[in-house]
Amino acid sequence: MKTQKVNPIYYIIVGAMTVCFFLFHTIPFIQGIFYSFTDWKGYGNWEWVGLRNYLQLFKDPDVINAYKFTFTFALITTVLVNLLSLVLACALNANIYCAGFLKAAYFLPYMLGNLMIGFIFNYIFANIIPPIGQMLGIEMLSVNILGTDKAMWGIIFVTVWASSAFNTLVYTAGLKAINTDIYEAAAIDGATGFRRFWLITFPLLATSFTINMVLSIKGFLMVYDQIMAMTNGGPGMTTTSIAVLIYKRGLSGGQFAYQSANAVILFIVVATISLLQLRFLEKREAKLND
Amino acid sequence: MSKKLVLSLVVSLSSMLVGCGGSSSNNNTLELFSSKAENVAILESIVSEFNAQNPEYTIKVVAPADHATVLKTRMAKNDMPDILAMGGDSYFTEVQSAGMLVDLSNEAYIITLHESYLDMVYNRNENKEEIVYGVPYATNASGVIYNKDLFEQAGVDVPNTWNEFINVIETLDSKGIEPFVFTYKDSWTILPPWNSMAPVIQPANFMDDRLQDKTTFVGTHEQVLENIITLMDYAQPDFMGMSYDDGNKAFAMGEGAMIINGNWAINQVIAANPDINLGMFAFPTSNNAIENKLTSGVDVLFAVVKGNSEKEEVAKKFVEFATTPEIATKYINDQFAFSAIKGVEQTNPMVSDASADIMAGNVENFPDHYYPNGLDLSAVLSGFAMNYSSGMDNEANILATLADLDAKYDAVNIK
Amino acid sequence: MTNKRNWLVSALLMLGVIIFILTPLYMVFVIAIKDPSDMVNVLSFPKQIRLENFVDAWVKTDFPRKFANTAIITIINLIFTLPLTSFTAYAIVRNRDKSKFFKYVYYYFLSAMFIPFSVIMLPLVIQASRFNLDNIWGISFLYIIFGLPMNCFLYSGAIKSLPISLEEAAMIDGAGVLQTFCIVVYPLLKPITATVAILSFMWTWNDFTMPLILLTDESQQTLQLAQYVFKSQFSVDYNLAFASYTMVLAPVLIVYVFAQKFIMSGVVSGSVKE
Repeated sequence: MKTQKVNPIYYIIVGAMTVCFFLFHTIPFIQGIFYSFTDWKGYGNWEWVGLRNYLQLFKDPDVINAYKFTFTFALITTVLVNLLSLVLACALNANIYCAGFLKAAYFLPYMLGNLMIGFIFNYIFANIIPPIGQMLGIEMLSVNILGTDKAMWGIIFVTVWASSAFNTLVYTAGLKAINTDIYEAAAIDGATGFRRFWLITFPLLATSFTINMVLSIKGFLMVYDQIMAMTNGGPGMTTTSIAVLIYKRGLSGGQFAYQSANAVILFIVVATISLLQLRFLEKREAKLND
Repeated sequence: MSKKLVLSLVVSLSSMLVGCGGSSSNNNTLELFSSKAENVAILESIVSEFNAQNPEYTIKVVAPADHATVLKTRMAKNDMPDILAMGGDSYFTEVQSAGMLVDLSNEAYIITLHESYLDMVYNRNENKEEIVYGVPYATNASGVIYNKDLFEQAGVDVPNTWNEFINVIETLDSKGIEPFVFTYKDSWTILPPWNSMAPVIQPANFMDDRLQDKTTFVGTHEQVLENIITLMDYAQPDFMGMSYDDGNKAFAMGEGAMIINGNWAINQVIAANPDINLGMFAFPTSNNAIENKLTSGVDVLFAVVKGNSEKEEVAKKFVEFATTPEIATKYINDQFAFSAIKGVEQTNPMVSDASADIMAGNVENFPDHYYPNGLDLSAVLSGFAMNYSSGMDNEANILATLADLDAKYDAVNIK
Repeated sequence: MTNKRNWLVSALLMLGVIIFILTPLYMVFVIAIKDPSDMVNVLSFPKQIRLENFVDAWVKTDFPRKFANTAIITIINLIFTLPLTSFTAYAIVRNRDKSKFFKYVYYYFLSAMFIPFSVIMLPLVIQASRFNLDNIWGISFLYIIFGLPMNCFLYSGAIKSLPISLEEAAMIDGAGVLQTFCIVVYPLLKPITATVAILSFMWTWNDFTMPLILLTDESQQTLQLAQYVFKSQFSVDYNLAFASYTMVLAPVLIVYVFAQKFIMSGVVSGSVKE
């Protein structure tokens, strides 16, 4: 690329947007970090407490629990969502009847908000599933799963239900973009079925895979609205994610500064994971595209 | 053309930044913030009566969903409502400790209030000073709400001791009547049995000793959890998966004979079945009937927020108006609540037993009101109930739960 | 290529749709038109269709006003987000090799995507009230700003794959930067613009936390917030609640039925940088 002078108009608009963003996103963020070193309650006077909040975090069983839950949840959900989406996408991309309708139907959950989905499934888990479970004699399904120690799986189910729509669509698009000549060539080489998928299709889905992985991990590590709508973190602390803990304790629970420290840690963890992931996947993508 | 486009974009963006007028704060309009969705209708009717008598001012009732968050954010941006109607809980302590409330100690109506409830509010002041920042208005009662018809059908009477209580439960069970509807999907509903039993079972000085680390929950509260387990042995199937709302409905439909909860649940039960014949009694923790007390705390108090003096005067006038016996009666009748105002008596037969206890001063405050802010007791107990329902050994469960409670207590009890 | 359609896969997919997608939706709708006494068998067809549920929900949640508020926020967000973020992303992608500023801005936005909303929530409330942004106009502005990192990320993916030769040709013909962007680049970004538009629409329409903390005035509240209020007040009456849910979901579903192809192709072309 030739070196050119950058037109000032670029600076003006990008600068303006950056300033706005800085003012309403970064400044509050910095304030949050600032207060994580104080005993501020969200109002009134405060004092410096140094690293006390941070030291307390590592001793707090609730915080440790929340991290355990969140990571387990994010890992399982990311894997399940991407597996299901890949299967669905391959199936939808096959030569099927009513393709248009099916694709539209599977994308539909994406359109409904998490709050609504939470309310609807809350009802389903409490009133629809238990009678069916009793009829079929499946013990795990004959009670409201959200009240048991398996409540996490209820949340995972709903999250997979809601999130697979977007991921499936992204994979479908990736599949459609693959030139069918490749398959014919592969068929001549004798690659079919799963082998063909693994050796040819999957590598060509690298871009879609990157998008899905980055968005999934990030979203699931911050999981919060489904939980608020369905279990409110219970029973016990079993479904309390980090974000839920921060929200509940930090805002109404009077631990604003302490939970700000928790949020700072969450930010560091999430940002590190996502950046590493992005690096790794982009490199892999680049290698595959060569 | 291009420059104009940019310019207009920048201008419109920045105009959005500064323009778009703020929230209107009219001097004649006051805001009454209620933390209870259940009492909005009755507060509105009281307010409209006040507005009619004082046409130069208008009071508006707001009761946002997730009131705690909203109150917190409004404290943060210093945009407080003018009058607060809230519980005597940790949120009150927060507003009070921020120095946002007006001292009402010298108001004429203070002498008409029950001292026991005034003491409860003093106790919520950050430094426990005896200054009236919150006027106790309506009080609640937590105990056992029962279906009189089902009790009659089983031929059992209201129990006065723990043994009688167990008898009642067993008789109901043997007659094919589900003794309880537990609603532990909403974890706060596990608090009432704890709140009723803990004050009776724990050693006399427990609260102060615990605060100073001289004692622990382990070693003092085993009996409370053992009793809760005994009760859960008679719980309906899927009691962990039933929500408070669904449970009230099920109770109203006669699907269980008792709920362990407070008078605040009665409105919802009656809404689901207006013909239900119910009553309420104090939780019989002890086998010594005299020791059993009704759990009662300040459900609604009024507080006036510091602001300009004109608004403060109107707000004070409103509190004075609301605490007149006539209006206070109207409020408690609508809410099946009890009054903190002397002589204002709850006469509804549904809660008359409880009312008698309150009149006789036979009440104990909610113990969790004395625990440090930020201790999530309901989550601990909900974990306990979950362990029980997934088959954990009872003794191990009790020990683990109390140890967990101690650890969490210590975690928030940093001075 | 064979033209034989795979009926087994079709049937399985159809079964999945019926069980997992259509049944829950049918349930929502059927509860909404039932009488409370007709709830013994929840999924059965109603004995009598009861439309009063909708009327009650309409009045109780103050539906028209909440709908208008939500629509205003969504539309303002769309009008400003699309041109502003696309140009921002364009500026970043085209200049990040020439000037470190754009490179840093890109990484700045990217890392900002990982800031949990909870940590900025309370300071944001103060900041927002300082600038009088605690109303539907202000919240619209905040949506534009907060959507910036994500939308830039999406746009830059698409812009990266645009051939630069077209722009160079336009510049050589004497077109300015903005002109080139509006005439040459922006039309090529239609697919990703559709994606961003859809994502922004879904976000603002379905968001709940930001309205909860910023829109304390009842007359300013959005549909989602109204559902939350509604839930805690009338939750025993599932017929009423689901009638209200239906009214919130209906606009989205109607938009989806009519613009389904457009919406899906939008998200499709946005995610594949080809």
